[in-house]
Amino acid sequence: MSLSYRIAYVFLRNLYSYKRFVVPTFLVSLIEPLFYLVTFGVGMGAYMGAFGGQPYLNFLVPGVLASAAMMAASFECLYGTFVKIVHEKVYDSLVATPVSADEAVAGDIAWGSFRGLISGTLMMVVALFMGVAPASIWRAALLLVFMVFVGVLFGALAMIITSIAPSFDFFSYYTELVVTPMLFFSGVFFPLDNFPGWMKGVAQALPLTHAVAISRALFTGQSVTGLWWRILFLAVLAAAAFTVSIRMMRKRLIK
Amino acid sequence: MAVLVQASGLTKKYGDFAAVAGIDFEIREGECFGFLGPNGAGKTTTVRMIHCVSPITAGTLTVGGLASGINNRALKKITGVIPQEINLDIDLTVEENLLIFARFFDIRRREAKARIAELLRFAELEAKAGSKISELSTGMKRRLLIARALINRPRLIVADEPTTGLDPQARHLIWQRLRQLKTQGATLILTTQYMEEAQQLCDRIVVMHQGRILKEGIPGRLVEDEIGREVVEVRTPAEDDARILASLAGLDCAHERVGDTLYFYCREGHGLRQRLLDLDLPNMLNRPATLEDVFLKLTGRSLHE
Repeated sequence: MSLSYRIAYVFLRNLYSYKRFVVPTFLVSLIEPLFYLVTFGVGMGAYMGAFGGQPYLNFLVPGVLASAAMMAASFECLYGTFVKIVHEKVYDSLVATPVSADEAVAGDIAWGSFRGLISGTLMMVVALFMGVAPASIWRAALLLVFMVFVGVLFGALAMIITSIAPSFDFFSYYTELVVTPMLFFSGVFFPLDNFPGWMKGVAQALPLTHAVAISRALFTGQSVTGLWWRILFLAVLAAAAFTVSIRMMRKRLIK
Repeated sequence: MAVLVQASGLTKKYGDFAAVAGIDFEIREGECFGFLGPNGAGKTTTVRMIHCVSPITAGTLTVGGLASGINNRALKKITGVIPQEINLDIDLTVEENLLIFARFFDIRRREAKARIAELLRFAELEAKAGSKISELSTGMKRRLLIARALINRPRLIVADEPTTGLDPQARHLIWQRLRQLKTQGATLILTTQYMEEAQQLCDRIVVMHQGRILKEGIPGRLVEDEIGREVVEVRTPAEDDARILASLAGLDCAHERVGDTLYFYCREGHGLRQRLLDLDLPNMLNRPATLEDVFLKLTGRSLHE
C-alpha cells in the first residue's frame, strides 16, 4: 500500500470544500440528534421508567453517539466519495499528482471519520444541555477518540460499497438493508437481553452492537461484558475493511 | 537533444482489446511532440502511461531514465498534466484550486502564493482569483487547467486535447501559452485530432490509428512526402472519372475518388490545373496540401497510384 503524510493533503482539500457546507451540515448534525433524543429519549422515555436504575435518556445517549458517528462517516464515504469520483472527477486530477490513489481513499476515510466526530460531538453537546453527561471529563475525551475510530471503521466499510457502486441507487441496498436494520439490532434503543437466542447471535456479529456497548461503558463508567474482546473484534474488522477498501478502490480508480 | 521519453513495444490491453498495440517512440528534451489520431486511436491511453496514471501491460517506457509506473512519485513531481476532461475542483475557488494542487506537490504556502499570482497572470485569470469554477467560461476553465498543470514548474507537460470545445480566440490564446512554455524549455507532449493544432505547435508528430503508429515525422515534411504540395478537388459524378483521367495521362499526380469528389495529390499542381481548366469543369478547388490530407490518407482512405 502506498500511504504517506500526503493523506493530510486530501483531508485538507475536503476541509476547504467543507467551508461552503459548514452551516447546512451543522444544522443537520444538530437536528438529527435532537430528533432522536427528543422523540425517543424524552417522548418514549416517559413511558419506560428507569432503565437499570437510570432514566431512559441516559441509556439512549451513548448508543446514539456511536450510531451518529457511524451514520455520518458512512454517508460521507458513500455519497461524498462517489460524487468526488464520478461527478466532480476530483480523484482523476489527484492521481496525476504525487498523491497516490491509496492516499486519496485513506484521506476520504479520514474525512468521513472527522464528519463522524463532528456529529458525535454535537450530539454530546445536545445531551449535555439535556442533563446527560459522561461520567467524567477524561471519559468524554476517550469517547471522542472512540468516535474517530468508529468513523474509520464504518467509513472503510462504506468505501468498499462505493468501490463497486455503479450509481447512487446502489447505496440504498447498503443503507436500507444493512445500516438502518443494524441501528435496531445493536442495542441502541433497547437492551438486547430479551431477544431470542438466534437474534442475539446475529446482533453479536454486527459491529455497531459492540461499538454501542463500548460507547456505553465509556460514557457511564459501568462495566460491560467482554470489553476487550469487543475492542479487538472492532479493531480487526476496521483494519480488514480499511485494507480491502483501498485495494478495491484501486481497482476502480486505476485502469 | 537528449531523449526524455522512450517507449519500446509499449502495450496497453483492456481484456483482449489492445488500446495500444506495441508502439515505439522517442521524445526529446525541449521539443513539442504530438500524438495525432482519430477517437479511440490510443493517444490518451499512451500519454496516461507516460504520466504514470495507467499501468503498462507490456513493453518498456522510461521518462528521464526512470521506468514510468503508477507509484512513481518522482516522475509525477516533474510532470504537469493538462487533462482532456475539465476536472477542476468545483467545490473550490480558482485560487483554492491552485493552492490545494500546490499542497499535493509539497509546495509551501508562501512559495505557492507567489507562483499562483504568477500563473493567474500567465493564464489571464487575475480578475477571477476568488471566483467559483461555475462562473468561468470554458476558455477560462481550460486556461486554469494549464495554470494548475504548471504549479510544480514541470519539466514535462502533457496536454491531452487541450483546446477541445473552444472558440477560435480562446484556442489561439491557449496555443500561444503552450508555445511560450516550450520556449521556456519545457518538453511538451500533445494529443490532438485537430491537424491545425499539430501544425501550429509540434516539432514532430506520430499519426496513431487503432493502437499503432502509422507514420512519424515533422508535420510539414510529412505532408510533402505523403501527399505532395497541392491538392485539387473536383466535384463531379463518378461516371466522369474515366474521361477526366484519360485527359491527364502523363501527369505525375495520384488520385482518389471519395464520395462525390475526385481528389488529385501533386508535387506541383500547375500542369494539372491547366488541363483541368481545358476540360471546363464547373466545380474545382485548388488548395495547398495539409496534415489533414495525410491524416485521412493514413487512417481511412485508400490511395490509388
